[in-house]
Amino acid sequence: MNRTYLLMAGSLVALIGIVVMLGDREKPSSSGRAVMLYCAASNRAVMESIRKEYEQEFDRSVDIQYGPSQTLLSSIEVAKQGDLYLPADDSYLNLGKEKGLIAEEIPIAKMQAVIAVPKGNPKSIQSLNDLLRDDVRVVLASPDSAAIGKVVRETLSAIDRWDGLDKTTKAYRGTVNEVANDIKIGAADAGIVYDAVLHTYPDLTFVEIPELAATASQISVGVIASTEHTADALHFARYIASADRGLEHYGNHGFRVSGGDTWADQPELSVFAGSMLRPAIEDTIAAFEKREGVKVNRVYNGCGILVAQMKAGQHPDAYFACDSEFMNQVHDLFPEPVPVSQNELVILVQKGNPKGISSLRDLSKEGLRVGIGHEKQCAMGWITQNTFREGGVQQEIMPNVTVQTPTGDMLVNQLQTGSLDAAVAYLSNAAGASEFLDAIRIQGIDCSVATQPWAVAKQSPYPNLASRLFQQICSTESQDIFAAEGFRWQNLGKDATDE
Amino acid sequence: MKSTSSPTFRRRSDTPFFLVMGGISACFIILIVLLLAADVVFTSPSDFIDALRKPEIQAAFRLTILSCSAAAVLSLWVATPLGYLLSRYRFPGRWLVDTLVDIPIVLPPLVLGLSLLILFHLPIFGWELEAWLRDSVGFPVTYQWPAVVLAQFSVACAFAVRTMRVTFDQIDPRAEDVARTLGCTRGQAFMQIALPQAWRGMIAATTIAWARALGEFGPILVFAGATRMRTEVLSTTVFLELSIGQLNAAVAVSLLMVAMAVVVLLILRVLGTGLNA
Repeated sequence: MNRTYLLMAGSLVALIGIVVMLGDREKPSSSGRAVMLYCAASNRAVMESIRKEYEQEFDRSVDIQYGPSQTLLSSIEVAKQGDLYLPADDSYLNLGKEKGLIAEEIPIAKMQAVIAVPKGNPKSIQSLNDLLRDDVRVVLASPDSAAIGKVVRETLSAIDRWDGLDKTTKAYRGTVNEVANDIKIGAADAGIVYDAVLHTYPDLTFVEIPELAATASQISVGVIASTEHTADALHFARYIASADRGLEHYGNHGFRVSGGDTWADQPELSVFAGSMLRPAIEDTIAAFEKREGVKVNRVYNGCGILVAQMKAGQHPDAYFACDSEFMNQVHDLFPEPVPVSQNELVILVQKGNPKGISSLRDLSKEGLRVGIGHEKQCAMGWITQNTFREGGVQQEIMPNVTVQTPTGDMLVNQLQTGSLDAAVAYLSNAAGASEFLDAIRIQGIDCSVATQPWAVAKQSPYPNLASRLFQQICSTESQDIFAAEGFRWQNLGKDATDE
Repeated sequence: MKSTSSPTFRRRSDTPFFLVMGGISACFIILIVLLLAADVVFTSPSDFIDALRKPEIQAAFRLTILSCSAAAVLSLWVATPLGYLLSRYRFPGRWLVDTLVDIPIVLPPLVLGLSLLILFHLPIFGWELEAWLRDSVGFPVTYQWPAVVLAQFSVACAFAVRTMRVTFDQIDPRAEDVARTLGCTRGQAFMQIALPQAWRGMIAATTIAWARALGEFGPILVFAGATRMRTEVLSTTVFLELSIGQLNAAVAVSLLMVAMAVVVLLILRVLGTGLNA
């Protein structure tokens, strides 16, 4: 009887002792809140080395949950915890995006599908045909559950080589590492794996074949949409994806890396943008700065002036031009512009249109004070002159032009003060002054519509950061702002509908 | 004549009996021995020592010992009364309780982990268990050590309940009835008669619970994660090492788990029986 009570008391004391010891073993985090990353188990080796370096450099902690990519995604969906997600390949990020779990992704590295064989290639496997030989035991990753299996099946099916390989495959495994493990322990002679996986298998080597040349997977890190600590999360995400920090580790671990941003604790992105775009993008940029924990130095001005500054040696990371013409003038700096929006040239007049202006030709009425954009300093002036020429009214109107300004906003101000009777400016310039001004459409002249392209400088140290800013500019919320400011959205993709 | 031939007949008949029975038994024993031998041959002493020297594996070792022990003791505390009730009483809904207790045994481990995760994060009219534990009680569970213990306990306890139920089934209730006729309450009869007789069953339940908790992997991975130095136990270490192709380390850790299991099982067995019967 005493023994019974003793046992009960003893086990209770033991339990309390264990709980105390479990509680004690948690080390206090070095400073502040730790960033939580869900990471594919296959990336553990490289991620541990990055984490170690990051924690040393910044005295910040990173908690990493390792596991299979799909399991981690399910955990994110249920627990709604964590800041970042780094799956084995970006197909899982796409899944996460579809479910609204992932806000954005940052590209890191690529892995190439190759044939893995034991070191020395004892079965002399050199081609896809060798995998079909009777004396070769082939193991593949499952095309239904593993990312590499999926892409290999797609690639080989497209060239009618899949069925043959499917028939000779001895077994399908759940993950790419299981395939490599099989070859390592001698259960298989060959298998198709990612080259980067073999970095931790010194006993294995790989053979590249042309049929799989286009079969690569992208590794990216995604920001979890529900995180409330975006700046901290993105700080570590930028570290992982930076060329001179995380990507060096990825390169050392056999991944294929290219590009990547230069590391900066708080990078400063420099953006040149035409003045008329300011109301459409300013709020988006401010929100981006806050979310990313970075600084965006924006310079708004007439595009002609901006181009002159760039030609004089100033090199922004990104340029958002008022018209393609001005982007073309700096094509060597910005080789890949993307059209984003359109803006229509209109005639702005005082509210109620006291001078009775209904067309371009009316601007030539005697005694009318007309303001237009400066032909050399801004895209608007350049397009205005083209429109005048196209409409055959240039000679008649120019004598009435009393002022040429580098931005449309100046013209609006002058109209409001009464120093002008009419001005030719963008519809977006009038968006904030509808109480004082009326806009009259210019009919039948195509060149009166300007197209605004965005481009990232090829020399920019922060191409990924600039691309993420562009993603924000293309977001639905941003498109709504563009529409409210009088811009028409260019059809860049499925969600970028014409407003 | 008859009396002398009988022992001869028995001797002749015993040999094939032991050969067949021993042979079949030996197959399984040999299989286990071969498995362990293969692991030992695959790794080398230096790999084994290297693995043991890693601080993260030492941390996983410590967490494994502590969490398995916590799960086992908790299982014993829950399994003893539950096993007793299931064994002694026929109450309405007993079949349902009996079935529910077995669910963690048959459920795929990953499902159990996912169910725990969902339970702690299910919003009920804006209230969430995990958020309440974290913000009001200051005791976060998901992705922390309590999640490891809870995941292990959920499975281990089901096995312990089975063991305790069988234990009480085998104890004649007559002694308890007699005690009650002599003035004992139900509680006193349980504490003074049934429990002391269930001594070995309790040791067996603790043993089974501890061993089951040691092998637990899926629910821990889903519910507690595998954060190094925090929620990583040895079973998740094996998985993580395999994931990056570190077979040697994985095998070394596996052998460590085998050694731990053998030591703990032997200790509990000696405790329970006074010897190693």
